Amino acid sequence: MSFAELQAPPEAVVQASAALDALDDAFVTGFGRLSSGNLEALASLQRSFAATPLAAAFAEAITGIGRSEFLDRHFLVLAAARSAIQGAVHDALVAQASAALGRPTPADEAIAGGHGQAAPPQAEVLLESARQWLMELALAGFANLDVDVILPFQATLDAIEEEPRLAREAALLAGLLGELLAVFPCRGAPEIPRMRWVDLWSRAMILAAGAPATRASRAVKGELRILGADLQQHDTFATLVVYASLHEAGQAAPRLCRASVSSFKVDVVQGAELGPIFAEVGKVLLSGLAVGGRILLDGMLLQEGGDLLWDDAKAELIGKGDPLAEAAAVLGAATPAQRPTLAPADRHPALIGELVYLAEGSYTVAGKGEPALTIDGANVAVAVERWPESEGLVVSDLAGSKGLVGLLRYDGGAWSIQPLTIAKGKAAPRMLASEIAAALGKKSSSSSLSTLKERAGKLLRKKR
Amino acid sequence: MIKPRSLARPRKVNKVPFVELYAGRLQGVVSSGSDPNRVYVSYFEAQSGNFYCSTNNNRPCGGLRGSPCKHLLALLDEALLQYGAARVVAYMGLGIEPEKVKRGGDLQRAMKGGPHKVEAGMVFSRFLTYLHYVNLPPTSAPIPEMGWFVR
Repeated sequence: MSFAELQAPPEAVVQASAALDALDDAFVTGFGRLSSGNLEALASLQRSFAATPLAAAFAEAITGIGRSEFLDRHFLVLAAARSAIQGAVHDALVAQASAALGRPTPADEAIAGGHGQAAPPQAEVLLESARQWLMELALAGFANLDVDVILPFQATLDAIEEEPRLAREAALLAGLLGELLAVFPCRGAPEIPRMRWVDLWSRAMILAAGAPATRASRAVKGELRILGADLQQHDTFATLVVYASLHEAGQAAPRLCRASVSSFKVDVVQGAELGPIFAEVGKVLLSGLAVGGRILLDGMLLQEGGDLLWDDAKAELIGKGDPLAEAAAVLGAATPAQRPTLAPADRHPALIGELVYLAEGSYTVAGKGEPALTIDGANVAVAVERWPESEGLVVSDLAGSKGLVGLLRYDGGAWSIQPLTIAKGKAAPRMLASEIAAALGKKSSSSSLSTLKERAGKLLRKKR
Repeated sequence: MIKPRSLARPRKVNKVPFVELYAGRLQGVVSSGSDPNRVYVSYFEAQSGNFYCSTNNNRPCGGLRGSPCKHLLALLDEALLQYGAARVVAYMGLGIEPEKVKRGGDLQRAMKGGPHKVEAGMVFSRFLTYLHYVNLPPTSAPIPEMGWFVR
């Protein structure tokens, strides 16, 4: 393991980021008013796609946009080109991380089957509206948005949220819409997180091209040992991702996998109040997280990319586990190649999360507000910006810690570590998001949610 | 990465169940301080600063006498907490420095409008739309895109 190799990204990644930067300028300016500099950047990008399957469509898109022929398929090509570059950057970074950590690059499991289903006709209409709206954003440019362009989309989004097959698109669009509305209307020059918004825009456009193909899966039987969890959320959606090792019956070596539960929510629902909502689909998973536990799986579906499709009926909590000891065993020299990946179309540097284990004494902690780790003489930042507000694990837990399980992340051109589980010696390990699980058993007398429903009821009654 | 605002204190959901910046208005639902069965619908309009407060069947709030009532002030307090002074000041089009805004009253002094009646149903239906989120079923399908949203 050599973190010194992760001090700088590969040269090709730096060059690709520069190409993306030039393209992103066009999204800030707006495709309805491109400057000659923007057009040159587009032409240059088009040339780099000359020998690819996108070449013809790209040429058509550039000509079309140049003639002010604004069609959503032209913008879909731009999204595809941008996502292809980000996908290649992701692959180069994962290869770099795997080499530095002395482990094989992660591989999908070969599972037969798994064909995408076309979206139902109703969903197709919604996706078309989404593509149309995204095109309007691109035409106006992120620097020139007006509430009149942003707000009317809310009605379409409400309908997308009602369609379970479009959950990914709904979660993403709700987050993007919320961020746009947080900036606009504004006085003076808006603060645009340009790369981020173009990333979100591109992914939303790709997902709006059609519901993604279902990944191939198989039923598994064996023991799941929880290593840690991450909590991701915006105002109206939250996802709990649990990382674990899976010891399958009849398999000599374990593999690593992910399981997640997600739900829509309202802004005031946070922290422990998410517990009962997540428990509707993953009570056993949450109970396991509360004790860093071991769970027996029988017939649970595992996708080729290492995601378990959680089903409480196929899981049973066996008891407490030891996440740090398990991490030491499965994330050391013999880290398996069979660990979570992203589907090819989903690959993006911001979504990299490579599980790592740091043993007691192998690292030192420096800094308090913005802590960093020193590992074998190399400095690695702690991804504090990714640290969710969680009572289960707080930044001060890092000091004096006796080993940790975390995710290697890449953001802003540098690698960092996001701790998930931290050993505290004799005391139980501190685990991110564990308070959500721990609060499940306690009956809280008044939750934000019940208050909201009661208040809405008072309004309804008065309406009679 | 964008790190969303973390709130200085939890929202007082019981007092102000709902607050939002929407369609050129700062609007929301405020509980009556005296009658647990009464709920008010309150709003301020951006730019003009016009305001109104009424029960859901459009009966005006008794505290509205040419200036905002305590429900409207409670709404401003919670908006500051939820969205931060910078965003509220920009949204309402107020010519004051956000750093100097500490509580709802500071905002109210900068607003020049008067009482202006609108249908309470408009705000109420937004509250119901907001509540629809909690009735959507959870899922265990992977949502890789949430990796962009951290808190």
